[in-house]
Amino acid sequence: MKRKLRIYFPFINAGLQEATTYRANWFFMILGNVLGCFVSYFIWNAVFLSGGNDTMNGFTMPQMVVYIFLMFLTSTLISSGGTYDIGEEIRDGSISMRMIKPISYNSTFLFQELGNKIMTVCILIIPLVLGVEICRTIFTGEIQFNIIGFLLYIISCVFAYLINFFFNICFGFIAFVIKYLWGANMMKNCIVGFLSGTMIPFTFLPDFLEKLFLFLPFASLNYTPVMIYMGMYSGTELLFYMGLQLFWVLVFWGLSKLLWRVATKHLCVQGG
Amino acid sequence: MIYVENLRKEFKKTIKDPGVIGSLKALFHPHNEKVIAVDDISFNVPEGEVMGFIGPNGAGKSTVIKMLTGILTPTSGKCTINGKNPAEDRKNYVREIGVVFGQRTQLWWDLPLRETYGVLKEIYEVPDDKYKKRMAFLNEVLDLESFITSPVRTLSLGQRMRADIAASLLHSPKVLFLDEPTIGLDVVVKDNIRNAIEYINKQENTTVILTTHDLADIELLSKRIVMIDKGKNVFDGTISELKSKYGQIRELHFETDTQNADKVLAYKEHFGFVDDDISIKTEGTGVQVRFNSEVVPVSEMLSYTLGKININDISVKDADIEEIIRRLYKREV
Ligand SMILES: Nc1ncnc2c1ncn2[C@@H]1O[C@H](COP(=O)(O)OP(=O)(O)OP(=O)(O)O)[C@@H](O)[C@H]1O
Ligand SMILES: [Mg+2]
Repeated sequence: MKRKLRIYFPFINAGLQEATTYRANWFFMILGNVLGCFVSYFIWNAVFLSGGNDTMNGFTMPQMVVYIFLMFLTSTLISSGGTYDIGEEIRDGSISMRMIKPISYNSTFLFQELGNKIMTVCILIIPLVLGVEICRTIFTGEIQFNIIGFLLYIISCVFAYLINFFFNICFGFIAFVIKYLWGANMMKNCIVGFLSGTMIPFTFLPDFLEKLFLFLPFASLNYTPVMIYMGMYSGTELLFYMGLQLFWVLVFWGLSKLLWRVATKHLCVQGG
Repeated sequence: MIYVENLRKEFKKTIKDPGVIGSLKALFHPHNEKVIAVDDISFNVPEGEVMGFIGPNGAGKSTVIKMLTGILTPTSGKCTINGKNPAEDRKNYVREIGVVFGQRTQLWWDLPLRETYGVLKEIYEVPDDKYKKRMAFLNEVLDLESFITSPVRTLSLGQRMRADIAASLLHSPKVLFLDEPTIGLDVVVKDNIRNAIEYINKQENTTVILTTHDLADIELLSKRIVMIDKGKNVFDGTISELKSKYGQIRELHFETDTQNADKVLAYKEHFGFVDDDISIKTEGTGVQVRFNSEVVPVSEMLSYTLGKININDISVKDADIEEIIRRLYKREV
């Protein structure tokens, strides 16, 4: 284990260096997300105003605001670029450079991205959590922050990130088949955005759809951590949904290993 | 050390008609065509040998190297290196080899060079003291000192290539694969790299497979050549064997004060040479004639030339290897 860490630690470092080298790139990406977040705030605001009720499907407007901003924070924390990176590496053939090293392909990606993530976490988490908490306090008149809830949220985010990472790796291996997958990736993002509750909370959906979506792996991505933060789950429910997350981590981890094995057999590195 | 038997690699290629309509058609009704990149290649390389692996563009050299390094899985045939099958046991196998693809770097683009070597040290589990010695040694033969703190993306091509070669040697591999390691380099850096390869081969008995289009690399580094074309073996042997087998080409040099010597001599008309059997270059008073000595013996050529014009100085040379290979590539023999 210690040896493993020593091997992969340099990749964390490499990821961090990458993030600092391309600071501007990173900054605009975050800025884009923030703007998107405000757009969805105004849309929901309009929806609530036209509805005329204080609550819609169990959400009050302040809760909706918290939901939107938490969704944004969570998506940013657990985002993973595996699909795109793998696709690119296959397209330009640089994947071969990872293959001539005695290391696990998936792990190098994982640790490199973790390094990249450190910066996001350090810069974003404090102002956003603070912002969300101030909002909640103003709306309800009392401090809502719960340290245990927050820690559970972080653990849940780690699971969610791992699911997202391995899922994206699996999807990226499709690049071995279709060689270029920009369009497929767009479609995937759209579907995942819907199925993970980023666009609308599941409670707004018909009952059977809500039940179905909760069991799909995508709910484990954004929805579960946000619900945990908002204190919607407790006791056995909490255990169940976090257990489900762990289950999906293992499923996609196994699947990515399997796909890697299949894909390398069919790999045709281009160029050179 | 390296056994390659009837190696073959086919690629599927999607054929698409030009334009938007063609793209749409290919989307719904893809039409695949088989490309045979490597047809049937066999060779053995004993331990400690430097093998020059040559062939014209598109011959399949890089594809063979990719199969030998475990990047591609062969369609059929076998390759065994150090008793291991590259495609089967990739992670263990690549510990024992070093690879350089001249066209692409294995270094981390955003890391300073020194840190890249630090990463490789951990990956290959090189102990501290060994690593220090090795770095000092590589620094000496490849002269890395002046750019070792720069990020890889800022290096020039020659610097990057030296850095890449050092990276492939850090863990003292038993086998070294070099795919065009001197591509695009100036003469000094080329010398540098050749010396490094020679030194490693002598000192550590490293087996080397080297592809290149610069035949000087081959002449300086290897006694043995394997030549392939269109995915098939064309020649396998030493450089002197190549020369004696295909070396009917001779080079005649002379100095003359006769104006327009080539017109006066009119070799083609006189001896009935066809196009590729003869070529003449004139530079001031010096004339260089390359001809096929099977069509016209050297003695006849000499006496004809001496009788026809006024010669000040004359010499005959064996063809250089470049000429032989040019003719082999053009499939004239
Ligand atoms: N991924 C691929 N898909 C389809 N065809 C390919 C692929 N890779 C290589 N080829 C074809 O296989 C043949 C051999 O290519 P290869 O790169 O091995 O040649 P090479 O001997 O290295 O040539 P060069 O000296 O130009 O580098 C070429 O005709 C090439 O077009
Ligand atoms: Mg090549």
